[in-house]
Amino acid sequence: MTATWVYAVTRDLDPAVLDDLEGIGGARVREVHEGQLSVAASSVDAGAFNEESLQRRLADPGELEAMARTHHRVIGTAAAAGTVLPLRLGTVYREDDRVRTMLAEREPEFAATLGWLAGRAECGVKVWASPAALATGSTRGEAPGPGGGGAAYLSRRRDELAARDQASRRAAETAAGIHERLGGLAVAGRQHQPQDTRAAGERSTGAQEVMVLNGAYLVAVAGLAEFAAGARAAVADLAGFRLDVTGPWPPYSFADGPMEGET
Amino acid sequence: MTQPWNPAHAGMSRPPRRGEPASLADILERVLDKGIVVAGDIRVDLLDIELLTIRLRLIIASVDRAREMGIDWWEHDPALSSKARDLEQENRELRDRVGELEAEDQSAGSIPRQRVTSPSDTAR
Repeated sequence: MTATWVYAVTRDLDPAVLDDLEGIGGARVREVHEGQLSVAASSVDAGAFNEESLQRRLADPGELEAMARTHHRVIGTAAAAGTVLPLRLGTVYREDDRVRTMLAEREPEFAATLGWLAGRAECGVKVWASPAALATGSTRGEAPGPGGGGAAYLSRRRDELAARDQASRRAAETAAGIHERLGGLAVAGRQHQPQDTRAAGERSTGAQEVMVLNGAYLVAVAGLAEFAAGARAAVADLAGFRLDVTGPWPPYSFADGPMEGET
Repeated sequence: MTQPWNPAHAGMSRPPRRGEPASLADILERVLDKGIVVAGDIRVDLLDIELLTIRLRLIIASVDRAREMGIDWWEHDPALSSKARDLEQENRELRDRVGELEAEDQSAGSIPRQRVTSPSDTAR
């Protein structure tokens, strides 16, 4: 017994790009068609991918990483050859017919979003701040020297905490400003939760750097390099801020379609 | 697969990060949190996925880095091990912080340093 794992809704995709592409569990990736749309899918063992075992697999970091990378590779391969609507990891149907039913039911919505995404890609932008960049106005210099006594110690602590508050406010303001500026260079922008410095791993060079912006921007494929240059220019005059551009990504962050005012 | 998506097909002359592998954190953030949700016959509970994501945020670094160092204990019992690791880290950070504060107190000088009395001290 097999079930059908789904990766992305696609349109106008040359099915040849999926040839020889291995899906989750090793089966070949194929297309399931309905009307104008298709779904990139592959067969998985129904017993190994029921709710309980899938949940268990996803809770295992090793298996989760393997599944996430495979899911992403299939979506990325399709995205390089056509317009895709990425589907959330871990969506499985009992059989292909159930996939067709779903496609038929949601075709108008999917077609509209695919139209909006056509010829566009997602760029990731992370902005990092050094502690120094956030600490202007530090009270360090004004603090009484050692020997100031208990009251002085408490006052120094209060100042430190106030400085920390001010630093987070400054980080949020700077992030909002950069996000707005990048949004102006893109079709649309979304903010993700900034990653924990530990989670971001190798991207953070300074141990104390803080990620202040984790954004995703929808950009015309033809304008990706220009967007990246514009993004770098956005922090060029901000001392202590560093910016990473990632991608192009399939439009994961824009799969829900345009928000009001976005065209 | 060394990039999120091969831009050779997309007509890009200068991709933003040519040749750099997509970080696991970036991939997980997208495949778990983003993308269309359709009502599959078998689908992991969204709430569970969210919980999973939160847990992952805590361990992603350890997955990448630990593997580099050849450590794989988390593979055997992720739930337990990631918690243990976080606690250990937190303990270390707290100890360091206490050390710093004590040092500051000492340098402040005029406050007589108070000893924390533990039950075993009073008993003596």
